[in-house]
Amino acid sequence: MLGRRGTLPVLVGPPLVWLALLFVAPLILIVAFSLRPEAGVVSAGEPWNPSLVQYGKVVGTPAFLRLLGVSALMALGVAVVATMLAYPVAYFLAFRARARATLFLALLLVPFAASYLLRIMAWKLLLGPAGAVNSLLSAAGLIGEPLDLLLYSRGAVVITLIYVWIPFASLPILASLQRIERSQLEAAADLGAGPWTRFLRVTLPLSLPGALAAFFMVFIPTVGEYVTPTLIGGTGGIMYGNLIQDFFGRAGNWPLGAALAMVMLILTVIGVLVALRAVDLRRVAP
Amino acid sequence: MTTRRTHRLRHGDSAIGVGRTRLPLGTFYVAVLALLYLPITVLFVFSFSANSRLSFPIEGFTFDQYAGVLADPSLLGAARNSLVVAAAAATAATVLGTLVAIATMRFRFRGRTALLGLAVLPLIVPFAVMGVAIFLLLVTLGIPKSLLTVALGHTVIALPYATLIVLARISGLDPALEDAAMDLGASYPMALRRVVLPLMRTALIASWLTSFVVSFDEVALAVFLVGGEPTFPVMLYGRLRFGGQLPELIAMAVLLMLITVGLTLLALRLRRSPA
Amino acid sequence: MPARHRIRTLFALSAATILLLAACKGAEPQNLLVLEWSGYEAEDFWTDFKSDNADAPVTFEFGISDADILAKMEAGSQADLFHFYSGWQQFYVDGGLVQEIDTSKLTNWDKVPDSFKEQGQVNGKQYFLPWDWGFTSILYNTDEVAEVTSWDALFNVDYAGHVSMWNDGPAAVTVSAYVNGWDETGITADQLAQIEQAWIAQKPLNAFYWSGEYEDLCPAVEDGTVWVAYAWQGCYAQALYDGIPVAYATPSEGRNSWIGFYGISSKTDSYELALKFLDAKLADLTMNNVVTQFYYGAANQDVMNAIEDEVLIEAFGINDPTILEHTNFTPPVTAEQRSAWTEMWARVQAE
Repeated sequence: MLGRRGTLPVLVGPPLVWLALLFVAPLILIVAFSLRPEAGVVSAGEPWNPSLVQYGKVVGTPAFLRLLGVSALMALGVAVVATMLAYPVAYFLAFRARARATLFLALLLVPFAASYLLRIMAWKLLLGPAGAVNSLLSAAGLIGEPLDLLLYSRGAVVITLIYVWIPFASLPILASLQRIERSQLEAAADLGAGPWTRFLRVTLPLSLPGALAAFFMVFIPTVGEYVTPTLIGGTGGIMYGNLIQDFFGRAGNWPLGAALAMVMLILTVIGVLVALRAVDLRRVAP
Repeated sequence: MTTRRTHRLRHGDSAIGVGRTRLPLGTFYVAVLALLYLPITVLFVFSFSANSRLSFPIEGFTFDQYAGVLADPSLLGAARNSLVVAAAAATAATVLGTLVAIATMRFRFRGRTALLGLAVLPLIVPFAVMGVAIFLLLVTLGIPKSLLTVALGHTVIALPYATLIVLARISGLDPALEDAAMDLGASYPMALRRVVLPLMRTALIASWLTSFVVSFDEVALAVFLVGGEPTFPVMLYGRLRFGGQLPELIAMAVLLMLITVGLTLLALRLRRSPA
Repeated sequence: MPARHRIRTLFALSAATILLLAACKGAEPQNLLVLEWSGYEAEDFWTDFKSDNADAPVTFEFGISDADILAKMEAGSQADLFHFYSGWQQFYVDGGLVQEIDTSKLTNWDKVPDSFKEQGQVNGKQYFLPWDWGFTSILYNTDEVAEVTSWDALFNVDYAGHVSMWNDGPAAVTVSAYVNGWDETGITADQLAQIEQAWIAQKPLNAFYWSGEYEDLCPAVEDGTVWVAYAWQGCYAQALYDGIPVAYATPSEGRNSWIGFYGISSKTDSYELALKFLDAKLADLTMNNVVTQFYYGAANQDVMNAIEDEVLIEAFGINDPTILEHTNFTPPVTAEQRSAWTEMWARVQAE
């Protein structure tokens, strides 16, 4: 019979092999590519002398680093707001939806099965100068010129990203709310805690690990986001991820794209580690 | 003088966190849902319109787009490919994510944090970079590209989501539960299966669905790993390069979403077990 | 259902799916593999080959950009044929990825105009078969914009907020070269710095840089967001069909033209069949489908001459042959130029 300790290799083995083969090994190839001195799409097999030329370009171009900073700030804002807005959704699912929680949860996620590109095109139809929103507003005499606030700007990107992330951010929060035992809240109530006190003293602290997980789940990929800025960012709303995407896509300059990606990866990992140290998950998690 | 009042929780007091302070949480949920479904409603309406473009006004009602979809084997094939790839990737990612979550929350071992970090790290690698990276690996190893390679790639990018969601749930489960089961004679894996997994049902479903949608609409990685058979997003981006294809693509997208809704509801119904 | 059954089902399900997936790629008795842009795999675009060679299966591998297609060829794609656009010819020849086309075996070769044939030649050899083509010029809204006679309309501050440039470095260099009267293939570092400054200054004039003709450019032209745009003729044709008041400029510097080519891989073991495929690609029915379904030009001149649709006649400037005579074909550029230009554009974007 398999005891606790004997189970560990079974648990760790498959993910480790999977990640080593499909994540670590490819990542090493990307690092190798970022050390290629010559630009352009290069055949994988050719020998070359490793150099830091590409990293020099990244670090030596203030506009790139500035954009990375801006993207990180945008991601921070998106992650904070999306997590805060996701909290009530998760709370609703955990405590009010009851038996239908799974159904209500599924309803939140299923729309993402419809192409994001097409959904954004539909939004543009509603928000564009000839769209439903502007038609309504101008028919009502509220506006003279069509509003273009919600399209083609950095603000539009941030708003859209928050909107897109709320359902996903609610998932880890929901998971952590589900761990709260009724007895814990009853004990608090018995000790005279009012509803808000119970929330602030019991529910919130117990759900913080989930909220943190949600925050990082939103923040980390948003730093490298490119789809939303491409579709609605306009020229001013472009993010760092767009540069990477372009170099791996149309521009076909993998070495520079790889260096840009590695710089982002390293700085983000450092940022997250520093943040985790400051928060100290272990003090939050009981 | 103040009197200390005891806030008794009545049975059926659903807002156990906030008590009687009834915040309109349901309304908020519905509002979020409405915003999510608004663009889809637009697409749904247009999929039955005679419009050749996504623009107002709506010109007449027709089933032509759906007839066009059904008469287009390559489009249907791409849709099927996407469903298969997403289901496979979601299943694999959820299984692996659950393993990582259990291992890191239930055991102390060297490299525990490293394993968790590694499972979450793909979040920071843009999909296109991941796609090129795995593409280079396939070339190096001489492995031909196929739907399988897309599914493998999608497993990697879905794994962080699966891990984080399951982790958030398991971190709140009392390890004493497994101990109790083992005291009753269960092996550790059986204790996990019988006691821990059922308690994580919602989290597992959330993880699977999230992984599914991460894969289902993913194109940046897929284009580098797809072989002769494209997934729907790959075909969508390709065909949008040409005019006149949009209405059919919208109908296909709507159809795919409806299929996903149907399958999800079916799965939930089948899996509904007495609490 | 007890949990362990669910888990078993889960495992069984995943195992089954993976087996299914493996089976999907199993049987492939492929005779021809074409590295293609998605959309062209539809039978309409190789229907002549299909009807003559019903027993020869054609399979497709997909690319999303010229860089992507080159990368896949360089990485050792098994494709017998590949499809790419102007400006990338030299890379395939230099990389030894392509072999000469024996045009004597192509029955439809005579239908291709000489100017197109020349574009497919490198070092005096016919390495590439021109197939689809189109224009690039300024598409503008005639209600909002006075007649456009030069590429510099993209830099006109009167249209601030309503301009849209394609999100592409080499395209930006081409436009600047036209506006300044520079030789596009001989841009100096100094000129490139000027180009960079010009596009940084132009940046706020754009509503957005477009990335997909029908995804973001066309809808925005039609809804009035964009008045002046760098655009291909397909979007012009569509806007005309939809009754939008638009015109497609014939700038004094000339329009730009691009051509799509097919090349035969140097590694193919089905050279003869590949030739047949290319010949059938040029046949009337196949080429006509390209024109009517994609609004792309055909390298088969008979098909172009037979166009009766008013909008397409206008879109391809068929009534005015001087347009095509004065056009500037996208020239091949070196890898160094290409990377310098794309890096320049990344800096413009990041600014």
